[in-house]
Order: sequence, then C-alpha cells, then structure tokens
Amino acid sequence: MRSRTPFFTLRTIGVGLVGLCLAVVVSAQSPGPTAAVGIEKGYGSKSAPIYMEVFSDFQCPACRGLYEATLRQVIANYVATGKVYLIHRDMPLPNHPHARTAARYANAAAKIGKMESVISALYANQDRWSADGNIEAVVASVLTPAEMRQVRELVRAQEIERAIDADVALARQRQVRSTPTIFITHKGRTTPLPPGGVSYQLLKQYFDYLLQQ
Amino acid sequence: MRRLWLIAGRLLLGGVFIYAAYTKLAQHWTLFAFSINSYGLLPEWALKPVAIGLPWLELLLGLLLVAGVGLRYAAAAASALLLVFFGVMVRAYLQGLEIDCGCFGLGEQLSAKTLARDGVLLGVSLAVTIAVFLSEAKRKRHLETNSFVNPQGTG
Repeated sequence: MRSRTPFFTLRTIGVGLVGLCLAVVVSAQSPGPTAAVGIEKGYGSKSAPIYMEVFSDFQCPACRGLYEATLRQVIANYVATGKVYLIHRDMPLPNHPHARTAARYANAAAKIGKMESVISALYANQDRWSADGNIEAVVASVLTPAEMRQVRELVRAQEIERAIDADVALARQRQVRSTPTIFITHKGRTTPLPPGGVSYQLLKQYFDYLLQQ
Repeated sequence: MRRLWLIAGRLLLGGVFIYAAYTKLAQHWTLFAFSINSYGLLPEWALKPVAIGLPWLELLLGLLLVAGVGLRYAAAAASALLLVFFGVMVRAYLQGLEIDCGCFGLGEQLSAKTLARDGVLLGVSLAVTIAVFLSEAKRKRHLETNSFVNPQGTG
C-alpha cells in the first residue's frame, strides 16, 4: 500500500496538468507582433483590410518564383478586388550584383505609376538581365519613350536610394533573413509567413480566413 | 531512482509536445501548412490534413505522457514522430534550405541549434520508451514469478 501512494499522487498531478493544458489550449488567442506598415510602393487600395508586404530581391530566383506562381494570382484575385494591399519592399542582396540597380529602376517606375509593369518585366526577364546586366533594355520594353526618359532621370536620384535604404533598414528591423519574406497585417496585427512554403492555394485560404474575421 | 528519471523524462517530453501543439493550435492552420510546405516533401493536397491533424496528435501524445496513461504506446509514438521530425529537419539542413523549423509556431529558423535541441529530445524520448518497455517487462516477470511460486494466488 505504501508503494502505491506516490503513484496515485503523481497520477492526480498528471490529470490536473492535463486539465490545465486543455483549458489553456481552448482559450488560446493567436499571438502576433504588431507593427506600423509604411506605405511606399503598393498595388491596389490602401483601404484594403489586409496588407501584404513582400521583401524581395529582383535577382533572386525564389522571388521570381513567388511572383510568377503566387503574387500574380494574388494581384488578380485579391488586390484587384480591394481585399489586399500588396506592398513591394526592396531587399537587394549583396551577392546579386545587379539587384540594387534593378531595385532603382523599379522604384523610379513606382514614382511615375508604372511599378507593376516594370516589376513584371524584371521578373519575366530575370535570366537575361542577370546575365548581361542590361536592365534598362528590359524596363524600356514596357514603357513609352517619354516614361523611359523620366525613369532614367529618377534612377540616379537620391530619393530612390533613400527609399531602397529605408526598406533595407525595415528588413533589418524586422529581422528578415532571406528573400522573399512576407508579412501579413490584418486588424493591426502583423504576422511573418514562414519563408519558402507560401503557395497561392494556401495563401488564398489564409486570406479567406482573415477576411471572415 | 530509475523510476524518478522516467517520470522526469516523460513529463519533460509531454510538456514539450503540449507546448508544440499549443503554439500551432493557437494560430490558423495555414501558417503551419506554410512551414510544412517549405520542407518540400508533401503534395499540396496533404498539407491541410497534416497541418490540422499533427498538432492534435502532438497534444494527445503530450497529455498521455504527462498523465502516464498508455505509456508504452505514447512513448513509442512520440519517439517515432520525433525520429521523423529529426530526419526531415536534417535533410532540409543538409540541403541548405533557409526555412523555418515549424517546431513551435512561427519565426524559428532551422539551424544547428534547432537540430541539436530536437536531437536531445529524440534521445530523451528513446530513453523513456526503452525504460517504459523495460519496466513493463520487469513487471511481467515479477507477476510470472509470483504466480509460479504461488500458482493458487492465495499467499
């Protein structure tokens, strides 16, 4: 009998812990960091309920993959319908020699309202300009000569450099480790998405869940 | 003494499993599905059932381990699960994937540190499993010896 007493005591403690854990799990609320969203280079309506920030490097193949397979559909189905405001953030990586120049062109295009077509062209022709460095030819292919003149002037402006640096600083502040990295902000709560596994099908279900909240 | 180590081991393991389940159940299932998908091992159709089912399995195992109920099955299942997790993580690490571990919710990068931690947990789990089976075998031998010495069971 003496040897059984600790066993029952332990079992009672165990059952008590189980009950406590169940109560915690049932009452759990999603935790998440909150952060103000700087709005500089966005697609869609700023009044959208969901903000999606994507830290990208134009020369990174994974960023192109995300843009081609996921972001194009997000733009068509969620940005165009006013549900998501998609913000491009620059994070040119030092191991990609043309990434910063490409970011300059994209930012310059954003200044004249042509960001979407230039970003699309940069990703579609990534292999080409990554090899020869001729980014201007790719950008020129989607702009009118007048727009291209404006972009050429803006590319050298300090304002463009500062915009890129501000994104890089924000990336550092948010502890972004790789590109692409995505942050979703909804109702004041910012959630970083795990890198590497963001497919359109999953993102769609996540957005639909958030929109129902 | 061995009994105390076994209790400490299963409480630690159970606690870790419950915490891991809690961090996943406290968020929408798609966030865990993103983490699973980043390992690149499962087809798209399998992501939802795994992302929803796995945290509940972790919770069940954690509760069984803490409560000391069905210990042999719980410990063996926990070891098998941790072995799978560890194998998958080692594979991803060797491939150089810059992804989240997915172990305890969001934001923990897969690294040598996470591998070491999961390796230790796997070791603890295997030790608990072996200890549970040895205890059970010892108990059975003890019962058999008693029934051999006193087959009528009247002593």
